[in-house]
Amino acid sequence: MRRSLKLYFTLISVQIRSQMEYRVSFFMDLLSTMLLNGSYFLALALILERFGNIAGWTLGDMAFIAGLSEMGFSIMDMLFSGFDPDSFSQNVRLGKFDQMLLRPVNISLQVFSSKFLIRRLGRFLEGAIIFGVGMGLAGIHWTLAKVLYLPIVLISIVAGMGALFVMGGTLIFWTVQPVEVVNIVTYGGNELMSYPMNIYPRWIQNVFTYLIPLVFLNYLPALYFLDKPGVLHFAPVFSFAAPFAAALMLFLAFRFWSFGLRHYQSTGT
Amino acid sequence: MIEVTHLSKEFRLADRQPTFAGSFRQLFKPRYRELKAVDDISFALEKGEFVGYLGPNGAGKSTTIKMLTGLLVPTSGTMIVDGMIPWKQRTKYVAGIGAVFGQRSSLWWDLPVSDSLEVLQSLYNVPAARFRSNLEEFRKLLELDEFIHAPVRSLSLGQRMRAELCAALLHDPKILFLDEPTIGLDVVAKERIRRFVQHINRERETTVILTTHDLSDIERLCKRVIILDHGHILYDGMLQALIDRFEGEHLIRLTYSSREGGGIFDGLRLAQDDGIQAVYAFDHRNLSVPEALSRLQQQITIVDFELIRPSVEETIRHIYEEKLLLTPPDKA
Amino acid sequence: MRYLMQLIKNSFRMQFTYRTALFAGLLTNLFFGVLRAAVLIALYAGKSSVNGMSIEEAVTYVALSQGLIAFLSIFGYYDVMRSVYSGDIAGDLIRPAGLFFTWMGRDVGRSVVNLIMRGILLMVIFGFFFDLVLPTSGLQWLWVLISMILSWGISFCWRFLVNLFGFWTPDAVGIGRMMFAVSQLFCGFILPLRLLPVWFSRLAEFTPFPSMMNSTVEIFLGTMQGFQVLQAILIQMLWLAILYALCQLTLALGIRRLVIQGG
Repeated sequence: MRRSLKLYFTLISVQIRSQMEYRVSFFMDLLSTMLLNGSYFLALALILERFGNIAGWTLGDMAFIAGLSEMGFSIMDMLFSGFDPDSFSQNVRLGKFDQMLLRPVNISLQVFSSKFLIRRLGRFLEGAIIFGVGMGLAGIHWTLAKVLYLPIVLISIVAGMGALFVMGGTLIFWTVQPVEVVNIVTYGGNELMSYPMNIYPRWIQNVFTYLIPLVFLNYLPALYFLDKPGVLHFAPVFSFAAPFAAALMLFLAFRFWSFGLRHYQSTGT
Repeated sequence: MIEVTHLSKEFRLADRQPTFAGSFRQLFKPRYRELKAVDDISFALEKGEFVGYLGPNGAGKSTTIKMLTGLLVPTSGTMIVDGMIPWKQRTKYVAGIGAVFGQRSSLWWDLPVSDSLEVLQSLYNVPAARFRSNLEEFRKLLELDEFIHAPVRSLSLGQRMRAELCAALLHDPKILFLDEPTIGLDVVAKERIRRFVQHINRERETTVILTTHDLSDIERLCKRVIILDHGHILYDGMLQALIDRFEGEHLIRLTYSSREGGGIFDGLRLAQDDGIQAVYAFDHRNLSVPEALSRLQQQITIVDFELIRPSVEETIRHIYEEKLLLTPPDKA
Repeated sequence: MRYLMQLIKNSFRMQFTYRTALFAGLLTNLFFGVLRAAVLIALYAGKSSVNGMSIEEAVTYVALSQGLIAFLSIFGYYDVMRSVYSGDIAGDLIRPAGLFFTWMGRDVGRSVVNLIMRGILLMVIFGFFFDLVLPTSGLQWLWVLISMILSWGISFCWRFLVNLFGFWTPDAVGIGRMMFAVSQLFCGFILPLRLLPVWFSRLAEFTPFPSMMNSTVEIFLGTMQGFQVLQAILIQMLWLAILYALCQLTLALGIRRLVIQGG
C-alpha cells in the first residue's frame, strides 16, 4: 500500500514538474480558471440580488451548495483525470495504455496517475472562496455532527463523480473514441448539483435520483446543513446517504472497469 | 524458456459499413467477420537464444508478441514463459521482460533521460546498487553521457533508441522484445545498436526476440528465424539453412570488350546487356562460379566481372511469394 | 480565389467525418440549455418580466447562447498555434491565399455546419419544449443574418489574433485560455449584458466582445429596436475592420519573427 502511494506520487510529480516548466501558462491557467468559473457564480450572485431568492434559497444557501460542488468536482478532476474519456482515449489510441500494461504496476494505479493537471487547483480555490462566502452568508447553526459530516460529504462528491469518470473511461475499451455524452453527466452533473434540485422538472430529478444518484451527494446533505425542510419525497435520513451512494457508485464503476479490462485483453484494440 | 503450443487467436470484427444505411443496419443487427490472426502455431525457445521473428504485414507477428507480453489472451492453446502464463500473472510476469518498440516510447517526453530512468527504477523496484551498476555499464556501451540530461523530446531518433534500450534493460529482464529497433536510423547508429544488443545477449544470456523488416539486422544478429505468414509458421530454424535452401539465382555482372556467337549458354540466363556490361543469372547449386565463367568466356572476352549474391531480403521475399511451406523444421 | 473556394468546400466535406461529435455536441448544448432554462424559470418564479426581460426572452437567450457556442467557437480555438508549433505552418505560408484567408476558409465549413447542426437544430428542438421569442419581421431576420455574419467575422479575427501569440512564445496555449476566458466574460455568453451592472457593460463596450455575440442576441430578441439595431451593426462593422487590421499587422510581424519549432 505504501509502495503504491509512493509510486503514485512519483508518477504525478513527473507531470507536475513538466507542467510547471511552462510557468506562464500555469499562472495564466490558474487565473483564467478562477476568473471563468468564478464569473459564473458572480453572475448568479448578481441575478440573485435582483430576484431575491431561487425557490426559497438565498445567495448564502446557493453559495454553500455551489461551492461544495465545485470543490468536490475540482478535487475529483485532479484525481480522476486519467480516466477522463478524452485523455484515456488518447492513451489507448497512441499505445500508451499498452505501454502501461508492460509495467509491473497495478494498471488502475497507472491510469489514475497518468494525468494530473495542477492547474485545476484554480477551480478548487474558486470553489473554496464561494463556499467560504456561503458559510458566511448562510448563517449555519454548526454542530459537532455537522462539522464531522462535512468532509465526508466532500469526499463523497469526489468519489461519486469520480465513479462517473471511471465508467466513462471504461466505455473507451469498446468505443476507442471518447464518448462525448459522458461529459454531460460529469460537467453537466456538476452544474446541476450547484442548484437546488427541486427547481428542475420532475423527469430530471428522477434521472438524477434513480439512475445517477447525484441527489444524495450534494443536495440532500445540504438540506441538513442549512436546516431546510425536506423536499421531494425524501425522508430527512437520506441526507446522510451520501457516503453510501458514493461507495456504491465507486464499487459499480470499478467492477465495470475490471470487466472492460478483461474485454480489452481478449480483443486488443 | 518460452514454450508455445498450438496457439491460436481469433478476432471477431464488426463489419465496418461505409454507407449511412449500412451503419444504421449495423447498429441493430450487427454482422461480424472472423479473423484468425494466429492459427495453431507452436515453437520453443531456449534461454539465451536470439531469434528473428519475421513475416509480411498482417502475418500475426504483433498479435503473437502481444500475447507473449501479456497484453492479449489467446483463443486457444498454451503459452508458458519462464514458468508463467503471461496474461494470468501480468504484474509478476512483466517485471521479468523488457521491450523496445520502434513506434512507441517508454520514456517521459518532457523529462531528462536520467529522470525517466529513475522513475522506471521506482516502477520496477530495482535495488539501488543494481540500478547504478547497470546504468554505468549502459552509459559506457551506449555512449549516453552526451545526452543523458537532455529532455527526451530533444533527442534525435538514434539517441532516443539508445535511451530506450537502456531503459528496457535496467531491471535485468530475462527476455527482451525488440520491435523495429533500427527503423529510420543511419548505418552508424544501426551498428551501435546491433553491437549493444548482441553484447547483452551474449554476456547476460538474455533471450531476445527481434521483429523487424530490416533483414540486414536479422542477418547480423540472428542465427535462428521464425517466419510467419497468415497466422501460420512458414519456417522455424537456422537462417543459414534457409538461405542455403532457398537462395535464388546468383548473378555475374561482366564488363566485356567483344562478343561473338549466339549468346546462348547452358545453365546461364541473360538478364541484361547494354553493350558494355552484361548480367547473367545462374543457379549456384548446379553450376559453380569457375565453371560458369569458363562457359561465358567461350564467347565473350571478359574484361572484368562481379559476383552478385541475392540478399537475404530477396531470399525471404522469394519465400513469401512462392508461399513455400516447410513441414519439418530445419535445425542444423 | 479558386483556392479559397476549394478550401471552403473541403472544410464542409470534412465536417461529415465529425458527425458523431456534432450529434454529441448537440446533446451537450441541449442539456446545458435545459438546465439553465430551468434555473431561470425558477428564478422568475412566475414574474412576467424582470429588468425589461420577459421569461420567454430569458429562455430564448439561453437557447441562443448555447446554440452559438459551436458557431463562434466561444470556448476557444487553437488550430493555428498548433500548426505553428508542429511546423505545418510552413506549408500554409506558400499558399496562394495568405495565411489569414487560408485559415478563414478552413473555418467556414466548420462554423456553418455547426450553426445548422448545433445552432438551428437546437433552437428548433428547444422550441418544442419552451416558449421562445423569435424575430417578428422579415427585416428583423435580415438584420439577424447580417449581424451573425459580422459576429462570426469578429470571432474569427479575435481567435486568429490570439493564436498569433504562437509566433512569439512556445507557451501560447495558456495565454489563449486566458484570452478566451476574457472574451467569454464580456461577450454576453454567461448573462445578457443588459442584466449585468451598468459599469460592467460600459467596460465591455471598450472591447469587441459584445459585438461578438451580445449584439446578435439582442437583435434576435428584439430588445434592440430601430436605430439601436443600426447602431449595433455599425459598431460590429467597425470592430471587424479594427480586428482585421490588427490581424494582418500582427501576422506580418509574426511571420518575420517566425521560429519554427519542430517535433
